Amino acid sequence: MPSRPDRSARDPFPIRTRGLRKRYGRVTALEDLSLEVGEGEAFGFLGPNGAGKTTTIRLLLGLLRPSGGEAVVLGKKVSRAVAWRGEVGYLPGDMAFWPRLSGLETLDFLADLTGRPASARVELLKRLDLSAADLARPVRTYSDGMKQKLGIVQALQCAPRLALLDEPTKGLDPLMQQAFYEIVTDMRRRGATVFLSSHVIAEVERMCDRVAMLRAGRLVTVGSVVQLRQAERRRVSADFSADVDVTALAHFGDITAGTGRHVEMLVAQAQVAALVVRLGMLPLADVVIEHPTLEEAFLEHYR
Amino acid sequence: MIGVLFRHHVRLHRVPLVPLALGLALFEWMMTFVAREPSVTSFLTSALRAAPPQFLALLNQDLVAAVSPQGIIGVGYTHPFALIMMAVWAVRVPSASLAGEIGRGTMDLVAARPVVRGVHVVAAALALLAGLTVLALAAWLGTFVGLVGRPLEGVTAWRFLPVAAGMWLLFAAAGSVAIFVSALAREAGTAIAWSSGLLAGSYVLDYAARVWPRIASLRPLSLFRYYEPQQAMIAGLASYDVEILAAVAAAALLLAFAVFSSRDL
Repeated sequence: MPSRPDRSARDPFPIRTRGLRKRYGRVTALEDLSLEVGEGEAFGFLGPNGAGKTTTIRLLLGLLRPSGGEAVVLGKKVSRAVAWRGEVGYLPGDMAFWPRLSGLETLDFLADLTGRPASARVELLKRLDLSAADLARPVRTYSDGMKQKLGIVQALQCAPRLALLDEPTKGLDPLMQQAFYEIVTDMRRRGATVFLSSHVIAEVERMCDRVAMLRAGRLVTVGSVVQLRQAERRRVSADFSADVDVTALAHFGDITAGTGRHVEMLVAQAQVAALVVRLGMLPLADVVIEHPTLEEAFLEHYR
Repeated sequence: MIGVLFRHHVRLHRVPLVPLALGLALFEWMMTFVAREPSVTSFLTSALRAAPPQFLALLNQDLVAAVSPQGIIGVGYTHPFALIMMAVWAVRVPSASLAGEIGRGTMDLVAARPVVRGVHVVAAALALLAGLTVLALAAWLGTFVGLVGRPLEGVTAWRFLPVAAGMWLLFAAAGSVAIFVSALAREAGTAIAWSSGLLAGSYVLDYAARVWPRIASLRPLSLFRYYEPQQAMIAGLASYDVEILAAVAAAALLLAFAVFSSRDL
């Protein structure tokens, strides 16, 4: 007897989009987005304001209806069933709560709606330094940072399989940012997938395995943080023991700073070897070749 | 999930429900005192006889019925004060529960949970109807307590139950239309403006159609046409009125369900 397909088998990609598109009249918010995010991966979504990051997250949650293409989350087409949302934790970019409800009432209500026990709540509250007294107060008395912490707790309190986090550290002080990074690390340790958008590139570089960059609703690039950094131009810094004409090096790349005895350049990977040979012909005292930071890679794409 | 959302709406709106219910109960209780004063009855008889028909149309009362003690108590169920108390709830809850949540940004938190969109509409409708039930019962209890405390010959509180039910049904229909409006809007303010405008327009149309024969044929377009307290006191709710108001409520809720299920939040 042939074995039946295992319907419980997990989709290896908690997030898959194909040609996802969102238009508002003539305005294109997102165009032809195709990407896959693997199980247990931390995926960063970068882009300037209005690039389509929040639109993408809201499309993935079914809050917006796509103009074209499709999104599959946790193995289910977003436009169909809703049960999969019980395994998703969502932190909106603009955190808003019911002002008259207390923090505890808010968390209880949202956990009840999720339909799963809030098994991670106590640990999250402890890490984010939210006390029982804080939770007993109406949310209208909270500072922006406290609201953000409450937002993180409501998103993650039911130990979601997939977390969609829009600007998660907005308004958090450095200590709480650190606590949040540790929370994400622990989530990943237990196999959860994290999809986060952020303007803080260092944060994405620190937390994420892979990164996608959006510009004007289009995917500019996607890859691992290391790949993206390696794909970009190298930063070359050279010191000379005597004055040289640094402008003679301009055909190897862009000179970002230069004096007679010092030059800094951005050089394509293919040109590095030739530049090193040329530098060797000069009175070279020191040379440093570095990968760009993710921030530099990001800026390269958006300048 | 309907229960969770229903309790959520009740929690958000229970505070204003208390003064609305108390206000209605006190008002209807007060009407039982006004009705038993012979001086008031005779004054009203004279006043109503002298009043222009346009004023009587505004009261939506038959002259003979209105000057009887029972009729005066019935006026309490068509008085603008009672109608406004009911309208506040019929506009507030629908506007806040869909458009209000979207405008405030909290709909994202709720709609990202495993809840079918239509459930939001059903929960809003249940909260609307539950509050209207409390208000209609409070109005009737005001009448009941007034008449039990100091009975009026030939007038029983039970006669006003169909009147309260008719008022409940009128605002259930109006509130359902408000839910449809709210399902289309992005801000509570917009939903409140449109729903209040439609309700006021419906009231004005009913009044104008009664005093201006040229537009009398338009009266069936008003929800208030199907709310006849004096008739309900005498013969109970007219099945035609019940059917029309129930059909309006059902159609509005179905439309709200369809619109809210397919829109961007």
